[in-house]
Amino acid sequence: MSRIGVFVCHCGENISATVNCEKVAQISKELKGVEFSTDYKYMCSDPGQTMLKEAIKEHKLDGVVVAACSPRMHEPTFRKACSEAGLNPYLCEMSNIREHCSWVHPKDDLTTEKAEDLVRVMVEKVKKNKALNSIKVPVTKTALVIGGGVAGIQAALDIANCGHKVVMVEKQPSIGGHMSQLSETFPTLDCSQCILTPRMVEIAQHPNITLYTYAEVEKVDGFIGNFKITVRKKSKSLDEHLCTGCGLCTTKCPQKKIPNEFERGLGFRPAIYVPFPQAVPNKPVIDRENCTYYIKGKCKVCEIVCPTKAIRFDQEDELVEIEAGAIVLATGFDVLKSDFFPEYGYGKYKDVIDGLQFERLASASGPTMGEIRRPSDGQIPKKIVFVACAGSRDPAKGIEYCSKICCMYTAKHAMLYKHKVHDGTPYVFYMDIRAGGKMYEEFVRRAIVEDETQYIRGRVSTIYEKNGKLIVKGADTLMGAEPVEIEADMVVLATAGVANHGAEALAQTVHVSYDAYKFFAEAHPKLKPVETNTAGIFLAGACQAPKDIPESVAAASGAAVKVAALFSNDELTREPLIAVVNRQAPPVFSSCVGCFLCQSVCPYQAIEREEIKNRNGEVIKTLAKVNEGLCQGCGTCVALCRTKAIDIHGYSNQQVYTEVMALLND
Amino acid sequence: MNELINKVTKLLNDKTIDAFIGYGQGSTDRVRAIFARTVEQASKLIYTPACTFNLSGYLLKHEVKHLGKLGILANVAALRSIMQLASEFQIKDGEVYILFVNDDASLTEFSDFQSIEAFLEKANIDITPDEKARIEKIEAMSVSERWEFWNKEFEKCIKCYACRAACPMCYCHRCTTDVNQPQWIPVASHERGNLDYHLMRAMHLAGRCINCGECANACPMDIPLNLLTYQLIDPIKTGFGATAGMKADAVYALSTFKPDDKENFII
Ligand SMILES: Cc1cc2nc3c(=O)[nH]c(=O)nc-3n(C[C@H](O)[C@H](O)[C@H](O)COP(=O)(O)OP(=O)(O)OC[C@H]3O[C@@H](n4cnc5c(N)ncnc54)[C@H](O)[C@@H]3O)c2cc1C
Ligand code: SF4
Ligand code: SF4
Ligand code: SF4
Repeated sequence: MSRIGVFVCHCGENISATVNCEKVAQISKELKGVEFSTDYKYMCSDPGQTMLKEAIKEHKLDGVVVAACSPRMHEPTFRKACSEAGLNPYLCEMSNIREHCSWVHPKDDLTTEKAEDLVRVMVEKVKKNKALNSIKVPVTKTALVIGGGVAGIQAALDIANCGHKVVMVEKQPSIGGHMSQLSETFPTLDCSQCILTPRMVEIAQHPNITLYTYAEVEKVDGFIGNFKITVRKKSKSLDEHLCTGCGLCTTKCPQKKIPNEFERGLGFRPAIYVPFPQAVPNKPVIDRENCTYYIKGKCKVCEIVCPTKAIRFDQEDELVEIEAGAIVLATGFDVLKSDFFPEYGYGKYKDVIDGLQFERLASASGPTMGEIRRPSDGQIPKKIVFVACAGSRDPAKGIEYCSKICCMYTAKHAMLYKHKVHDGTPYVFYMDIRAGGKMYEEFVRRAIVEDETQYIRGRVSTIYEKNGKLIVKGADTLMGAEPVEIEADMVVLATAGVANHGAEALAQTVHVSYDAYKFFAEAHPKLKPVETNTAGIFLAGACQAPKDIPESVAAASGAAVKVAALFSNDELTREPLIAVVNRQAPPVFSSCVGCFLCQSVCPYQAIEREEIKNRNGEVIKTLAKVNEGLCQGCGTCVALCRTKAIDIHGYSNQQVYTEVMALLND
Repeated sequence: MNELINKVTKLLNDKTIDAFIGYGQGSTDRVRAIFARTVEQASKLIYTPACTFNLSGYLLKHEVKHLGKLGILANVAALRSIMQLASEFQIKDGEVYILFVNDDASLTEFSDFQSIEAFLEKANIDITPDEKARIEKIEAMSVSERWEFWNKEFEKCIKCYACRAACPMCYCHRCTTDVNQPQWIPVASHERGNLDYHLMRAMHLAGRCINCGECANACPMDIPLNLLTYQLIDPIKTGFGATAGMKADAVYALSTFKPDDKENFII
């Protein structure tokens, strides 16, 4: 016979305004198995909890039902109180008579009756509850950071400075990401490289950080605290220990006309190259697709000139196995290229460029040494048009969202242009100016007032070339949609920020979810912005949505704290509300028949195969088994298992069935 | 027939298999399954136009499994069952020796699952025109008529579970019907409980039924319960592009999610 205690909370007036709490407590006392029941104004308050604890001890309760708010709010509170009173916390359940009852019904006898029903159902459930113990999982205190842009760098440094090991994997030959390509940054106009490169160097020098560049994550197994990752280090055709980074090879390589990715095609690079002067690591890689030796079998000039004999033409990709307790995704974003836009010439006009290309033109280390010169003929443009929202907020282009950073960098571009070309006129076509953020609005004002940027509210419908000029046609919607035509020397499209190429594949490799635009999805838009739905995997920066640098860095530090919190204990404590596949005595072993439908349906890859062997070591059965670290207790497998071999602790078939029956058998 | 007997005799003699599941003459004029473990028993194998039922259901039966390495005479339905069972990890490639009688009475032996898959791609796997016509009739009914139709049929069910025993896909050691904590399916055969059972059965076979019809054949009350699972074949094919029992490494349509899955069934 059970000895259950029922505690009905008034929640101030939140519940008692429509539910007769005293009556609920009284009626509950009559239920079979209920030993004690009471009601109180605030069960969650200190006196409320003390009352609960004392009742457990005094009445030797073996189960508790707190009828109050949603278990999402106070279940941990009451479970902890039970535990302090010596009762297993999982013998405590909550009946939600607030969200499910008092808040949604008027003051009425029926409302009170419903509250009684909800309590009765929980009392029946608690009778079937079993004492459970939290699960302990060991934690490997190494974090894997994927992507070495400013977000990845920030996360890695923060984690490393907490004393934990970090492995950073960057796809490109150097870390730095998009920020390393920027000239100056809004809203302060400080030099991007100057603030970024010290951090890049810190990554290279930090004793806790191992950096793999020119590398990609190939496989991720395991679960929170215990990930096993395979990283492919692409061959750089170089012995990095011997290479001193003198750069001689890069000056002698006969291949000199390869479009430079870092300059976004506005310059050239050799086949053996370092992406930019401040690259970390500052050691070259051979781009095999464009190397004369790999194409024709002859050349090896770099090998001949290399003073330390560091070139390795026969070097192969290397697979590295990493064990990590947490993963931070910081793979950033990309921006559309001008060839995405038929109305702006499909990329065929050389002087219609994208924002990143403009950054390179404005950058002192860029192809024009920081002078704004148009790509076609090197002339300094006297009239320049910036087109904001190129692709963004455009359902017809499949991009409904606002890319967020473009308003700001367009204002910045107009300013930078004006600072460099004093007699030039910058025009900006915009839909709205979105400048929310510290000092952002002031920044845009400066572009308009001090730097005399002509802001025109309206969309640009077409751009075409005529007599060496670019004719930009649009409408000024603030002037009654009056047509506007500008003969420009150059056009800069603030193209939409989009998910990185390969983001979807990476999400699948790492097992995180992503949104319709292939940006990685956070677990909760407000309360879990840097967590993913997969425990132990966090998000930093623009891989989640277009973000500017301050936001990316803030998110990265947020993710780092989550990792540090995870690493603050040697073992991870998890709620035991997970699935279990039953086990029985031989020769049955389990009612599981090993069809493994559960394995394909589990969204968390939590189902493993366990081989049952006889004394001679022969496999006699292969059964499903739940990995306690991975299972999130979602219950999908339970619904699918035909033989009912899987069940969920805390929400077992038996418990839920009992609840339903308690309602039906009223 | 002689070719079959010779072949099985040889397989038994050289110990390729320990037992062969084939057709034999029953005590009446009916055909039954026989399990030949000796040359003498193999000589009783027959193959006549009456030998149409799906023998694959025996492959996973505890008593049969223990005979050792098995051979089987498979028809198209049995081949599909074997593929479906393989995709559910119940049979491994090479585990069962599979023979098939061609239209010209010659024998084909399938050396691996791949050859079965290739064969099935060309085979006729459709339900019979008669079955099709009956399904169309059911589908033409209004929802309430259909409800009445099935309730009337299920009223006859005596819960003997012969259909479950005959179905090659019903291989669970402990069927949901046998679970009593909680008691999902009432033990007694009353209207409600019968309906529970048949709905549960249909759900468990959705996307897995290979339309052999053994369930209906086995039913002593002549309930056309095969039509219920057949009705689910088309929606799963059009909705998810999946047909049961065609590929040994198929992943169950209802246990996987693809972003482009249709959601038009959600009402
Ligand atoms: C034209 C333009 C101007 C801008 N100007 C400003 C400005 O003035 N001020 C400001 O605050 N912000 C500005 N931004 C925004 C700024 O660039 C971003 O906020 C910032 O780069 C985001 O950093 P991140 O690390 O998240 O991503 P990224 O900078 O994109 O870095 C991602 C890194 O991950 C790597 N990576 C990608 N995929 C993989 C993979 N599969 N495996 C391993 N590594 C991978 C990439 O190579 C890259 O190094 C501007 C953006 C643009 C386009
Ligand atoms: S082999 Fe020749 S082409 Fe290739 S990197 Fe070396 S110098 Fe350049
Ligand atoms: S679905 Fe059920 S029977 Fe099938 S493998 Fe999983 S636990 Fe076992
Ligand atoms: S449900 Fe009937 S028709 Fe379908 S596989 Fe089972 S026995 Fe055959």
